Amino acid sequence: MTTKTIEVKLERMIPAPPAEVYDAWLNPKIPGNPWNAADKFVLDPKVDGLFYWSLKGTSHYGRFTEMARPVRIEHTWVSPNTLGEESTVTVTFQKQGGDTLMTLVHSGLPDNDRGRGHEKGWNYFLGIFTEQFGNS
Amino acid sequence: MDQLTDVLTAISHPSRRAIIEQLAAGPARFTDIAKPFDTALNAVTKHLKLLERAGLIERKKQGREVLISFQGEPLRHVAGWVHEYERFWNERLDQFEQYFKDKKGKKVKKKR
Repeated sequence: MTTKTIEVKLERMIPAPPAEVYDAWLNPKIPGNPWNAADKFVLDPKVDGLFYWSLKGTSHYGRFTEMARPVRIEHTWVSPNTLGEESTVTVTFQKQGGDTLMTLVHSGLPDNDRGRGHEKGWNYFLGIFTEQFGNS
Repeated sequence: MDQLTDVLTAISHPSRRAIIEQLAAGPARFTDIAKPFDTALNAVTKHLKLLERAGLIERKKQGREVLISFQGEPLRHVAGWVHEYERFWNERLDQFEQYFKDKKGKKVKKKR
């Protein structure tokens, strides 16, 4: 059975040059990257290197498939939310003056709108929106 | 405002969600929709306007009556957008961006 997939794409302008941003993304000591949030992690950031991290008992695994410092990182991503299938995370770093336009694309995600993950997402966003617009 | 914002605004109010639930069972007239509510009719009109702006309802003339029906497609767009990983990566990237902003702020202070 083929599962329908979707893609998440996000952009941020980071006030630092691409090489610094690239290195920070792979440094577990820097807040914001996935490894920094982990309760436990293993990280081997090279092509065919593996990573593991767990947060609140949920495990995530992946394999680095492209490491082009300072412009691009690509790795696979497997978790209960991907239904055990390999999804792909691509992070690119584009120089914009003295800053870096960072683009993160997470593709191949199962469109599991009945899944537990979605439910959490809904509750989170609707909670915020209810607060914001609840009296409109 | 974009459609996503319109849809999220529309479904953020319990009365409007109740209207959606009612219409999901089948089209209804304005008076039928207003009946369960203990509010002024113009409040119901306002709710329907917001639902219509979001594309969640459609009005159709049938003879002398206007029937209001539910349109589900905009909700599917929201479901696609509000994926677990959208939330996860947004939180991560916000923290990452903030780290660099704080770092830059400290540098500027030192220079002064």
